Amino acid sequence: MPLSTQSQADDEQYVLVASMDNARNLSNILKAITFKDQAIFSATPNGLKVTVEDSKCLQANAFIQAEIFQEFTIKEDLVGFQVNLTVLLDCLSIFGGSTVPGVSTALRMCYKGYGYPLTLFLEEGGVVTVCKINTQEPEEPIDFEFCSNNVTNKVILLSESLKEAFSELDMTSEVLQITMSPSQPYFRLSTFGNSGNAHYDYPKDSEMMELFKCTKTQTNRYKMSLLKPSTKALALSCKVSVRTDIRGFLSLQYLVRNDDGQICFVEYYCCPDEEVEEE
Amino acid sequence: MNCLLEGNGVKVFGKALHALSRIGDALWLDPTVKGLALRAVNSAHSAYACFLFSPLFFQHYSLGSGSEQGSGSVNCKLLMKSILPLFRCLTSIERNVERCQISVSTPSDRVVVQFFCRHGITKTHNLRFQESEALQAVFASHLCPNVLKAPARLLCDMVMHFPSSQEEITLSVTPLRVSLTNYCEEGKDPMRTMYTEMSLHPDEFDFFQVGVDLDLTFCLKELRGLLSFAESHSLPVSVNFSTAGKPVCFSVEDVVLEASVVLATLMDSESRGPSQPAETLAPVTLEVCGCCCSARGIM
Repeated sequence: MPLSTQSQADDEQYVLVASMDNARNLSNILKAITFKDQAIFSATPNGLKVTVEDSKCLQANAFIQAEIFQEFTIKEDLVGFQVNLTVLLDCLSIFGGSTVPGVSTALRMCYKGYGYPLTLFLEEGGVVTVCKINTQEPEEPIDFEFCSNNVTNKVILLSESLKEAFSELDMTSEVLQITMSPSQPYFRLSTFGNSGNAHYDYPKDSEMMELFKCTKTQTNRYKMSLLKPSTKALALSCKVSVRTDIRGFLSLQYLVRNDDGQICFVEYYCCPDEEVEEE
Repeated sequence: MNCLLEGNGVKVFGKALHALSRIGDALWLDPTVKGLALRAVNSAHSAYACFLFSPLFFQHYSLGSGSEQGSGSVNCKLLMKSILPLFRCLTSIERNVERCQISVSTPSDRVVVQFFCRHGITKTHNLRFQESEALQAVFASHLCPNVLKAPARLLCDMVMHFPSSQEEITLSVTPLRVSLTNYCEEGKDPMRTMYTEMSLHPDEFDFFQVGVDLDLTFCLKELRGLLSFAESHSLPVSVNFSTAGKPVCFSVEDVVLEASVVLATLMDSESRGPSQPAETLAPVTLEVCGCCCSARGIM
């Protein structure tokens, strides 16, 4: 691959070098969390985590493990920086994003450390483009303090069954209400819009319900504007886990298979909008 | 009112809604003993459509419930934009929906549309409605002396040649010929308008009863929904009319449903007096009762 003709000496200055034969394996998953311009990149020897937040109430994370990359070299335990995600995605698709089989953009992402730009070497068909994107000091991602011990309700659904519901959601509703219960209606999505309200019910014994573990009846409302971007992650995924904890915080975890069949994860955390009395 | 539709019936119902949405922004849901009538009218009262689904169309059909008073059924007026999105994607309905239940709940002023889908998934929509009088066009199509009947395919093929932006067309009939031409408003530069004319011989019609020569000009856009519905069910379309200026009725029927679109037509140019300015070239309005819109009366 032409990009590897860079001299060894150059590499020594980088604290992070990550290469991918198909840049789409990175850009597709990043598109699932691009609802804001700024993204926090955290790299560890395990791989890359990209975080996007909205109004301190919503956080989306994309995880790309080190194994997904053809080369992943990191010289520190944690390398962090903040970049404009929209600009990064534009660079990753700089060759036009062709879908001709066998033709893909190869990527080599390099970072020298604090104060340096993120350098992208992109190659397709023998043509190499170098992009340098300014980085900023990374903000501390919010810790939603969502831990498995406090999870009251958890379901795992096949994404196929939720995709339609999410694309049909009444956008005139300010909130998306999620009800999870060990008894009827088990798992319910509700909207309250201008024309009236709508409920989508998924029974616990449906073939689409891979796992159903609900211990107590909970109804929580989340701002529709915050959750609607998660539809992109849903569209890419094959399974999604929905969990709520005792505070009503929501965790959505999506299992995404990339072009090469490898698994990546995207997760969304969202704060509840308000306390809801059980109806 | 409470009714249950199965499988294909849900798709047909959805198609009827699509056709009705071409007419107006509101939908009248009128349950009767003869069946469930879905009706729409445009704001100018120059187009009216009605789809009547007989009780046989449904798996189950009942008017009223024990708790309701009087005759038990309520006429509902809904916004098309609240019900049409539920039936927007017919291919997905075909793939996923097993049954659909529609009921009217008076205590809560809601029309409840419930979809029972594959994999045990249920979608329930509670739509707000306004109580209303039943909508009805005052038009006796069976009293029209002129009747044409043709397969939907024939009419669709004819109108296909007119651009979707073409508002009005003229149906010219004589005992020997039927032709469709696009209607050019007076005042429009004839050099800049494309003129299309299609003619058919009476033999191409399943039924042809025409006593006089006349030109009927009406709005094509509002008819397309019904033609598309008729074509998807391979139903023949009947056209009933009397004279220019009186409404024309296009209708289809089969064992379980009847659908009709009644359109106002332009009066003959001879009968229009010199006192009428060019602006009143809009079609003559139909008399439609039960609909409280500000509309002009019959001219």
